[in-house]
Amino acid sequence: MVLVELPEWAALAPMLLLAGTALALFVIDSISPRSTNRTILAGTATAGSLAALAVAVWFTAAGVGAPGMDGFGVIELFDGQLIVDQMALYFMIVVAVVTALVSVASYDYMEGHAYQAEYYSLVMLAATGMATMAAANSLVTIFIALELASLPSYALVSILKDNRGSVEAGLKYFLVGALSSAIFVYGISLVYGATGFLQLDAIAVELEALAAGDGGDFGGLLGLGILMLIGGFAFKTASVPFHFWAPEAYEGAPAPISAFLSSASKAAGFVIAFRVFTTAFPLDVTTELIGVDWTVAFVILAVVTMTVGNFAAATQDNVKRMLAYSSIGHAGYALIGLAGLGAGSETVMGAAMMHLLVYGFMNTGAFLFVGLAEHWGVGRTFEDYNGLAKQAPIACAALAVFMFSLAGIPPFGGFFSKYFLFTGAIEAGLLVVAAALVVNSALSLYYYARLVKAVWIDDPVVERDSLSQPTGLYAAIVFAAVMTVVLLPGFGPVVDTALDAAAVVVA
Amino acid sequence: MEGVFNYAPAIAVFPLVAFVVALAFGNYLPKKGAIPGIIATGGSLLLSALMLAAVASGEVYHETLYEWAIGDATSATDVTGIEFTFGILIDPLAALMLVIVSLVAFLVHVFSLGYMNAEGETGLPRYYAGLGLFTFSMLAFVYADNLLMAFMFFELVGLCSFLLIGFWFRTKSAPSAAKKAFLVTRFGDYFFLVGVVAIAATFGTLQFAGDDSFVAAAQTAIDDGTTLFGFDAQTWVTITGLLVLGGVLGKSAQFPFHTWLPDAMEGPTTVSALIHAATMVAAGVYLVARMFGYYALSPTALAIIAFVGGFTALFAATMGVVKDDIKQVLAYSTISQYGYMMLGLGVGGYVAGVFHLMNHAFFKALLFLGAGSVIVLMHHEQDMWKMGGLKEKAPVTYWTFLAGALALAGIIPFSGFWSKDEILYDAFIVGLEEPIILAAYAMGLVAVFFTGFYTFRMVFLTFHGEPRSDAAEDPHPIGWSIKAPLIVLGVLAVVAGAANLAPVYKLTGLEFTFLESWLDGEYGAIEGVTYGAYAELAHYDSGFIGTEETTVLIAAGLSLLLAFSGAGAAWKLYNVPEPVVYRDRLGRIGDVVEANYYQDEYQVWLAEGLTLPLSRAADRFDQTAIDGAVDGVSTASLFGSDRMKRLQTGIVTNYAALIVTGFIVLLLVLGYAGGWFI
Repeated sequence: MVLVELPEWAALAPMLLLAGTALALFVIDSISPRSTNRTILAGTATAGSLAALAVAVWFTAAGVGAPGMDGFGVIELFDGQLIVDQMALYFMIVVAVVTALVSVASYDYMEGHAYQAEYYSLVMLAATGMATMAAANSLVTIFIALELASLPSYALVSILKDNRGSVEAGLKYFLVGALSSAIFVYGISLVYGATGFLQLDAIAVELEALAAGDGGDFGGLLGLGILMLIGGFAFKTASVPFHFWAPEAYEGAPAPISAFLSSASKAAGFVIAFRVFTTAFPLDVTTELIGVDWTVAFVILAVVTMTVGNFAAATQDNVKRMLAYSSIGHAGYALIGLAGLGAGSETVMGAAMMHLLVYGFMNTGAFLFVGLAEHWGVGRTFEDYNGLAKQAPIACAALAVFMFSLAGIPPFGGFFSKYFLFTGAIEAGLLVVAAALVVNSALSLYYYARLVKAVWIDDPVVERDSLSQPTGLYAAIVFAAVMTVVLLPGFGPVVDTALDAAAVVVA
Repeated sequence: MEGVFNYAPAIAVFPLVAFVVALAFGNYLPKKGAIPGIIATGGSLLLSALMLAAVASGEVYHETLYEWAIGDATSATDVTGIEFTFGILIDPLAALMLVIVSLVAFLVHVFSLGYMNAEGETGLPRYYAGLGLFTFSMLAFVYADNLLMAFMFFELVGLCSFLLIGFWFRTKSAPSAAKKAFLVTRFGDYFFLVGVVAIAATFGTLQFAGDDSFVAAAQTAIDDGTTLFGFDAQTWVTITGLLVLGGVLGKSAQFPFHTWLPDAMEGPTTVSALIHAATMVAAGVYLVARMFGYYALSPTALAIIAFVGGFTALFAATMGVVKDDIKQVLAYSTISQYGYMMLGLGVGGYVAGVFHLMNHAFFKALLFLGAGSVIVLMHHEQDMWKMGGLKEKAPVTYWTFLAGALALAGIIPFSGFWSKDEILYDAFIVGLEEPIILAAYAMGLVAVFFTGFYTFRMVFLTFHGEPRSDAAEDPHPIGWSIKAPLIVLGVLAVVAGAANLAPVYKLTGLEFTFLESWLDGEYGAIEGVTYGAYAELAHYDSGFIGTEETTVLIAAGLSLLLAFSGAGAAWKLYNVPEPVVYRDRLGRIGDVVEANYYQDEYQVWLAEGLTLPLSRAADRFDQTAIDGAVDGVSTASLFGSDRMKRLQTGIVTNYAALIVTGFIVLLLVLGYAGGWFI
């Protein structure tokens, strides 16, 4: 095992590689300002994210973060401010995959746009922030990482400076984000006030001490703090009621950025929620202190989020907006992972992690298809998409795969992760949540199938010229589709990894 | 001789190859697929005869050839694991049946040259492919060594009959008849399938023979007094046996599933010969004989078989009396004759039942092919009232047909007499002790009269008297491909009875009971599937009037007397130059009989009057209640969706307000629950 000889900080390599790539892009930009050499820029970004992906996969396979004889154990850095365990690596993989797909797709999408170098470096910086979120183990690092992910995102949403929608969306995103950050940081201060610690393990130790002793005085304070933290996570994961930014930001942003935000950013929001609530606030102790089971908050959020997302998506005319709401609905599904922790079941959290990985492919792919449609300039509504399959059968077949997988139809990956979520919810005794999952999935099939019907069955409203086949977008879409399909036979390792990672964190 | 069994699979595979060849290349072959069919069935016949010889030399064959699924379920009798296999069982019964089936199939193929090819039919490759598949299915069914395999080929036989009955699919009646045959037999097969599953679940095996057969397991269960599924073992054996019997009644056209068979006359006459003599209809009775050990365990099941058989024999015979179409008469005679076989098997007369199955195969194939020959002569006219006087113009057809008719009517010394008499004798001696069997016997006995009557009515109307139409004046010539099969079968119809001259043995002690010793395993057999073993299982009491000899004489005399009076009545009424229709003199009874006792009507009513309204009601419920609920859900969802969309106003201050409101609501809920505000 070569890894033993590497210094401990090398465990952060995926994150450092992403940061390095961002810096490299700055260097390129300063050498040749306003460069429009898309090959070099997109190539660098892709290479950097693929390198981060490779290292993260390698670490996972080699057993970094895995406990026991064949692993290297959980690696804590900087007095536990950062931590590299299986869950951190798992989410770094998700972030790196989405970043790579987005970089490849942007090669075509950003053709002819200004600020190319800035675009890619912002993507890489945001990715760095998300990867850091995966590894953050203290409320301070979590906040910094969250802001590192958020600030470039605001800029990225409004990067189409000549486009009113893009600029407006960016501003709204920023304002809602600022509000949410304020709530979040206030929550941190309240938790600090109640416990006196910011490092997650230390908070847990202190809570136990408080529960054992006579620490009940700060129960309400602590509870409010925890609720405000939930608000911060809800913003990042686009959960109700902090979801208002999502439909407009996703619609206004360049499609690859929508894909990036709805997949990677959401996953990163979930990883900090998972880590904070499993590490810092052990359920029994916290319940004793604040008088209420915090999973109740997630049960409510999960049901409301999936219902609002899916219902609002059902009658949208605009495809991108439909996908934005569907992305909110999926945040609701993933929230089951936290809602189900009450019953002490790590299966359900593992299921949520699987869902986020599969989602990283199918949702990114779906948004990239929208990007492809924008690249063609066919329009934004369902009707505009009518009959696309006759001209672009491959991309439309991939779209059908994404849609059916998002709806949770076998044999695609989305079916399995949703199935595990469903069984997990039932095991955890959350029958209401399980029922909501089924009802919403059924409803979601309606609008997903509508899109498939539009491209495959309906006849075009207007005659179109022949459509180009941009290499980068096509490659990213086809790869995402293939992954959505082959994740099924290859689900074994994913399931094991996700369950192991969840088990380590929950235990 | 043992090595010869290695070729056993080829018996069934030959016709399968012929099927493929006829289907793929039929259009390019000189006789459109007839030649491969003849070669294949000829090969099967040869191999079957070899098997017969091998069994005669004391060998039997019981091998599992292919195991296609293994389950690890535990049966009700604690057998762990069940194997689903394809295997071959060749014992005296199977070897005999193989020869019968392949012989009839071979002759039918030869006959088809004259009946189909010479008449310029179209679609011949399809016809010969169907014949090939039919023969394949039946042969594989005959030597199946387990019930599931038997069921599969039983179904395949049903499919083939569907294809062949509907051969002239452009007419209106043939497809309808094919559908009817398929649906009615399928209705019976449904019970069969349930029975197969029940037997598999009970005993964990579906083998017909050997120590690990379900028959042996059932016997052990009865001996041990095991309780199976809440019933005592014997009751359960009766229930499962009767379920399987559902398939038998459907295929062998026993009451009340007989309605498909007369309609099946819409198929080519050669197909009718094959269906009635050796394949489809024979399959049902053969299955009872094949698993006779199982039925022998249940007196109730046997009594039901006997009674249904006796009733069907009489019931169908009366309907045969009033038919004007030569093929219809034969159709009802088939139903009636299979009723006799069921009666024979039901009273424990295993040898008698199988004997009649064999004789019937020969004389019924003969009669159908003879009828086919008549139809060719008559330029495809089937109404007997338009025939007459064919005796001189077609002597070969006449004399062979007459031999078949004598056998069918049960006139001594033709083959049908010996087997029918043995059945009635067996029923009689058991009936002396068991009233219900006596009733079955009485019906069988009365049916003898009607059999004699309708058979000779048919003969006289067709061949005797003056020609009653232009076609009968000037018949179409027939070739040797038609005559040769008739002669072969005609000879068999005369002499086949010699296989088992039971009355002669009982009266004189001369050992003319070759078939009985054959089925009793004196040459070679598998233990437990012999006549002797069955006789021990089925403990029927039997009585005699006086001595055995007098009983034999009384039984034979009675049936002969009735057969002769039936034939004589027909002679009196119809063997005249210008016969007249006597139907009107029957009055109301005649109407009822002519309408086939309204059997079709009530079955159609069951479908249209009962099932259809029920389905309509279910459909209406589905359309209104279920669909309404579904539509309501979707309307409500879309309405909700519309409301939900309006939350997104586009104004960022609204968003901030909503976020804070939402957050505060959550805070109030949790804070109230957690008691934070105290």
